[in-house]
Amino acid sequence: MVEFSPEVIDTVIRAAALLGAGFAMIAGIGPGIGQGYAAGKAVESVARDPEARGNIITTMLLGQAVAESTGIYSLVIAIVLIFTI
Amino acid sequence: MKDINDPQKVQIKILKITYLFSLFPIISSLIAGEYDILFGFIFGLVIATLLLRLKYNNIIRALSMEEESAEKFIRNRYFIEYALYFAVLFSAARNANLDFLAAAVGLFMIKFVVILWSVVDLLKDTFQSKFDEYK
Amino acid sequence: MIDFSPEVADTVITTASYIAAGAALIAGVGPGIGMGFAAGKATSAVRRQPQARGSIITTMLLGQVISGSTGIYSLVIAIFLIFGV
Repeated sequence: MVEFSPEVIDTVIRAAALLGAGFAMIAGIGPGIGQGYAAGKAVESVARDPEARGNIITTMLLGQAVAESTGIYSLVIAIVLIFTI
Repeated sequence: MKDINDPQKVQIKILKITYLFSLFPIISSLIAGEYDILFGFIFGLVIATLLLRLKYNNIIRALSMEEESAEKFIRNRYFIEYALYFAVLFSAARNANLDFLAAAVGLFMIKFVVILWSVVDLLKDTFQSKFDEYK
Repeated sequence: MIDFSPEVADTVITTASYIAAGAALIAGVGPGIGMGFAAGKATSAVRRQPQARGSIITTMLLGQVISGSTGIYSLVIAIFLIFGV
């Protein structure tokens, strides 16, 4: 039976946590694409109805701020993995 | 959002609000004597301002292109910008006189202000419509 | 019982953090795609409605300012991983 010393186990867990933090940040792709898509649609609708531009910009910015939250989740998870494990 | 027709005015307004908000961390780090935080924050803020100008110039150039070439142009420019951000954060992490987290927060200041601005605008709109209903 | 020397443990952790930093940088692709989409829409919108040019530029600028932030999150994590700040 193979047994690991506690140092080996700690090393492997630390390495896995760091790898996990890196892969968690791949989630940043999603909000990036989505926010850019929202900006494109907002630009289109400003061109269609220039009168409503104030409302359109506010709605776009709020939608993007909400879409940002997934990116912030992955950031928080990455920071927790790096600094606590 | 009165000056929405004029992108230059909107930029100046956003930068003014950003600098106003930045005074708080700058003055408090100055009083506390944490000079690396102060320099890191100012470094990030200056870079963010310059990159906002760069983004504006890129958009102006992209608008005179065809749809597909504009798409490609902005995508390539974003990757250049990404490399610039990497260089900035890298030098902030290597340099002992610059605090890394303060530089990152300085880079984010403009985004905070834009989101805050839209929230304030939404609240103003909501209260205005409620007020009109009441009248 | 398997045991690692300190150098082996250091190497494993450093390797893991470099691989993770590389993976985190993949997230920079997303904002690029989204911003490109917004730019394409904006050009066709200006073609269609030249008098709304100012508001289109403002919408696009604010949209791009917000969409860039997920890329910076991943950069911050990558540099944390590389330098262990």
